[in-house]
Amino acid sequence: MKINSIAKLGGVVLLSALVLAGCGSKSSQSGSKKQELRWQESSNLPTMDLSKATDQVSAETLNATNEGLLKMSTNAKVTPGVAKNYTVSKDGKTWTFNLRHSKWSDGTPVTAKDFVYSWQRTLTPKTASQYAYIFDHIKNATKVNAGKAPVSSLGVKADGDYKLVVTLNRPQSYFKYLVANAEFFPQKESAVKKYGSKYGTQSKYMVYNGPFKLTGWNGTNDSWTMVKNNDYWNKKNIKLDKMKIIVSKDPSTTLNQYNTNKLDAITLSGSQQVSHYKNDKDYKSYLNASTFYLEMNQKKDPVLRNVNIRKAISMSINRKQLTNKVFADGSVPARGLVAAKMAYRNGKDYADQAEVKSADSQNLAEAKKLWAKGLKETGKKSVSLNLLSDDTPAGKNSTEFLQSQLTKLPGLKITNQNLPFKTRLQRSQDGNFDLVISAWIADFPDPISFLSLFTSDNSYNNGKWKNSEYDTLVKNAEGKDALNAGKRWDDMVQAQKVLMNNQGIVPLYQQSTPKLINSKVKGVQFFPTAPEWDWSKVSIK
Amino acid sequence: MADNAKSIKTGDFLPLSDVDRTHLDSEKIAAPSLTFLQDSWRRLRHSKAAMICLVILVILFILSFGSGLFQTHNPNATNPDLANLPPKIPGIDINGFNGTIMQSGTRINAYAQAHAHAGTYYILGTDYLGRDLFSRILFGTRISLTIALVASFFDLAFGVVYGIISGWLGGWVDTLMQRIIEIILSIPNLIVMVLLIVVLKPGMSAIIIAIAITSWVNMARLVRAQTLELKNQEFVLAARTLGESSFKIAFKHLLPNLASVIIINLMFTIPTAIFFEAFLSYIGIGVSAPQASLGTLISDGQKNFQFLPYQMWYPAIVLSIIMIAFNILGDGLRDAFDPKSNRK
Amino acid sequence: MAKYLGKRIFYIILTLFIVTTVTFFLMKFMPGTPLTNQAKLSPSQIHQIYKQYGLDKPLWQQYLTYLAGAVHGNFGTSYQFSDQPVSYLISSRLGPSLTIGGEAMVVGVLIGIIVGSIGAVKQNTWIDTTATILSILGVSIPSFVLAVLLQYYLGLKLRLFPIADWGGFMYTVLPTLALAASPFAETARFMRTEMVDVLSSDYIELAKAKGLNKTGIIYHHALRNSLIPIVTIVGPLAVNIMTGSMVVENIFSIPGIGEQFVKSILTNDYPTIMGLAIVYCAMLCVVLLITDILYGLIDPRIRINK
Repeated sequence: MKINSIAKLGGVVLLSALVLAGCGSKSSQSGSKKQELRWQESSNLPTMDLSKATDQVSAETLNATNEGLLKMSTNAKVTPGVAKNYTVSKDGKTWTFNLRHSKWSDGTPVTAKDFVYSWQRTLTPKTASQYAYIFDHIKNATKVNAGKAPVSSLGVKADGDYKLVVTLNRPQSYFKYLVANAEFFPQKESAVKKYGSKYGTQSKYMVYNGPFKLTGWNGTNDSWTMVKNNDYWNKKNIKLDKMKIIVSKDPSTTLNQYNTNKLDAITLSGSQQVSHYKNDKDYKSYLNASTFYLEMNQKKDPVLRNVNIRKAISMSINRKQLTNKVFADGSVPARGLVAAKMAYRNGKDYADQAEVKSADSQNLAEAKKLWAKGLKETGKKSVSLNLLSDDTPAGKNSTEFLQSQLTKLPGLKITNQNLPFKTRLQRSQDGNFDLVISAWIADFPDPISFLSLFTSDNSYNNGKWKNSEYDTLVKNAEGKDALNAGKRWDDMVQAQKVLMNNQGIVPLYQQSTPKLINSKVKGVQFFPTAPEWDWSKVSIK
Repeated sequence: MADNAKSIKTGDFLPLSDVDRTHLDSEKIAAPSLTFLQDSWRRLRHSKAAMICLVILVILFILSFGSGLFQTHNPNATNPDLANLPPKIPGIDINGFNGTIMQSGTRINAYAQAHAHAGTYYILGTDYLGRDLFSRILFGTRISLTIALVASFFDLAFGVVYGIISGWLGGWVDTLMQRIIEIILSIPNLIVMVLLIVVLKPGMSAIIIAIAITSWVNMARLVRAQTLELKNQEFVLAARTLGESSFKIAFKHLLPNLASVIIINLMFTIPTAIFFEAFLSYIGIGVSAPQASLGTLISDGQKNFQFLPYQMWYPAIVLSIIMIAFNILGDGLRDAFDPKSNRK
Repeated sequence: MAKYLGKRIFYIILTLFIVTTVTFFLMKFMPGTPLTNQAKLSPSQIHQIYKQYGLDKPLWQQYLTYLAGAVHGNFGTSYQFSDQPVSYLISSRLGPSLTIGGEAMVVGVLIGIIVGSIGAVKQNTWIDTTATILSILGVSIPSFVLAVLLQYYLGLKLRLFPIADWGGFMYTVLPTLALAASPFAETARFMRTEMVDVLSSDYIELAKAKGLNKTGIIYHHALRNSLIPIVTIVGPLAVNIMTGSMVVENIFSIPGIGEQFVKSILTNDYPTIMGLAIVYCAMLCVVLLITDILYGLIDPRIRINK
């Protein structure tokens, strides 16, 4: 954001003063407490090959053991990582990163070539990376990934060992978030070549350049360790000596382990655990950048093309009851499409600025009025709709609850259908539904990652809601206003308002992660988007 | 002396008097003639444990299949405001049944906390969506029993037919059929069930099919062994000589004699089926929501066991009682059908 | 003997072949793919990933490749652990499962033999009744209920054993107990019946008549002869333990294959499901073969010479 305001003044601006956030001036450990953290995961670590990783555990482990150009920080900020500083050209298309002298865990230097190699490797068709799409703003990335251009044509070049030049197709102000993601981390070519097909499958078949080194992971086991990396450039600010990660899948077992002090941090699961601990001093609920919403098929059902019908549906739902009573897991009612507490400008949360109260709160009297009006306009007496969702417990609870809420509208009949995730997805994409509960998890903390979903031609716009004003606003945010942070922000705020005023979707709830973290553990950082957890500032008091 | 013929007195050749007649009748079989099944039933009745179990099972069947009459609430009606309420039975004020629960060290009245109406009673409490646990257990028992019975029916139909055919025909047919059984026996049941359920999509019919497909093997083996034995007995040979068709022989002569083997085996198939249903539901590929089986109820309850132990205890107790009852009844029947077994 | 062995091994191979084939085609009916974020991928990207897993080839070719691989113990690559061969996944997690499974088998069978024979010797006394009740409870209480209760009362309340996790003998106690219930109960029931039969047989009567003391009779004659048939139920017991391990491992966070099997079912990781199904069958086949051979060796009445 800072970048854009300076760029407005014109000229190439050097941002060398990215000061380290955080308090780390005390390098010596305070007290005699053992600096060891025992952290619970509920699933295994599938891979450490960042070109192939797709899951949460891989993302946070990679973030702890490796480091990209920039580092994600709280409140949607980035701090310097391997790059000391960076500059953005006037047209916003060329990003130049100046790298510090830092080392891999084998003692060799981390250079710009490691980044070039890593990005090229991810985009090589043979690698079959499932996250290749996230590079799509980089010049030639899509072509390279489709095998239509040589990898060398990719818009990333090393200018000497410590300067990396990235060329984009079009300006992307949130590119700074992307380079903080694990997919953009460096990979050492000689290590990848040396370990071959074993690369990233066990802790010993990897090199690390982050705050910690992974040890004791044989690729499939249920516990592993991360120890402080003495080759890390910022090691004096890393207080934690050791982290033990334990996979515990059964919620009761996990809680028992916490209560007998075998674990310092766990994720709670289920309403009872949360309601029992929500007043505990160790309890904290972390809001994820994931919104659940209802899509209404306007292509299949003419009745859903009526805005009053759509509004009535939204107004009939008591979202508080859904999150507090049905889930009771710390989730909160959604306040629009874009997740709250994710994106900020000048300290203000996007969700506060772009909320349309009437489109995300219950008003049964008004709902019935609009419903009657809508029925009259469409010439219907009764409507019968099919509600599609996943066959997970949460999916089933949601459909059961929504059914009970929606059928309060006279003449509306809802039939529930819960299908396995992949089948549900296919049905949504084929437009084979009336109402479907969809979810979106943002890849980076910028509203555009949500807003781009509902442009007329987007393939994730399953309900086929169309609005030219919305399309223009999103297009401007990605195009003509991309370099003007203020205008871009306004475009995006306006876009959600248009979407909500027309009730293009019905926002339902935003997910959260309820956790118990022992009060002696200080400095755990959470981000609503990947990697979510960062332990580089943790200390045990 | 020896030549002296005994003189015949009058009265020596008189017709039997009534007194004499009763004396002679003591040689006759006094008890009424009993069929095999009647005899077994008589023996079973002497086993106290088996009879108690039979009564328990009958009661459970009536309760669960007539659950429309007994359930206190709709088992699938959610009521999030009244979620996780502990058991409360009108007129009983013992901790555990009076609607109070320990929360952070103090005993609180959960019903008052949830603002439930004064007359609200859930005799076994409610689950995480505010559904009545008692009704859900009845409903779950019904589902579990239905699955077990239907699966056992298929097991019976298929296993018995397979066994009779194999044993009766003998020769290469028998050899082939036995090889097939051997192969099936060396595949763990659960693997077959899981694969089938994964393919068929979790649900009641998938479980029934999966259990039916895997459980008939034992039945087939036992029936075959028994058939082989019966095949060479005189009454079967006689029927054959008289020109009875094989089909008729199987139905009229073999089946009644196989009855004991079949019934005993069935008594052990049913609890196995109930166990597998609970197991599959517990690991998450069984009966799907909002339907509940004992397995899903235990699985849900297990998650909250530290706070609301009753949510797991009650379904677990019901499941265990069913299993125990079928097992003891099965033991009782085996003893009853086996005339050699020593009776007290 | 050699002929018998050859025949048995032929059947094992036939069984495994059938299992592999059936599993392969069953799994191909499923909509599962290695894609983890399908929603965000373009068709060409999806095609690339399919190609990497060999899913772009015709079905028969995939089948032959799989079969050829399976012969060499190669079951393809897991969908869930993106670069991990299924064979490695299984072999690296087999140890803990075999440990608790083996312990449960030994503990269960030993206690079962003791309880069963005591019950038979003290027939129709309160000791017998208690033994019978124990064994009925053992078959009736599902392992997943028992595991939760053991963990809560012995682990959390009394703090006698670790609640969960893996790392040394103490960690195996609770899962072993939870798994041992079923083999214990089955063995005890079986043992009691066998022993009662043996005790009423003629040679025992003869031994009594000869004036041998009671312990001698029980130990030298009754116990030995009742023990032999126990071998025949080891196979079914192994199956029970396999089944139980799938939930017990999950509850006690044991890095074994049972827990992995359930996980792969829930995440549609088909290569792992297939690999584990084949491995489970192979294990059962081997157990059955060993018990049959053992039975032939220790029971002189049975001769394997067909």
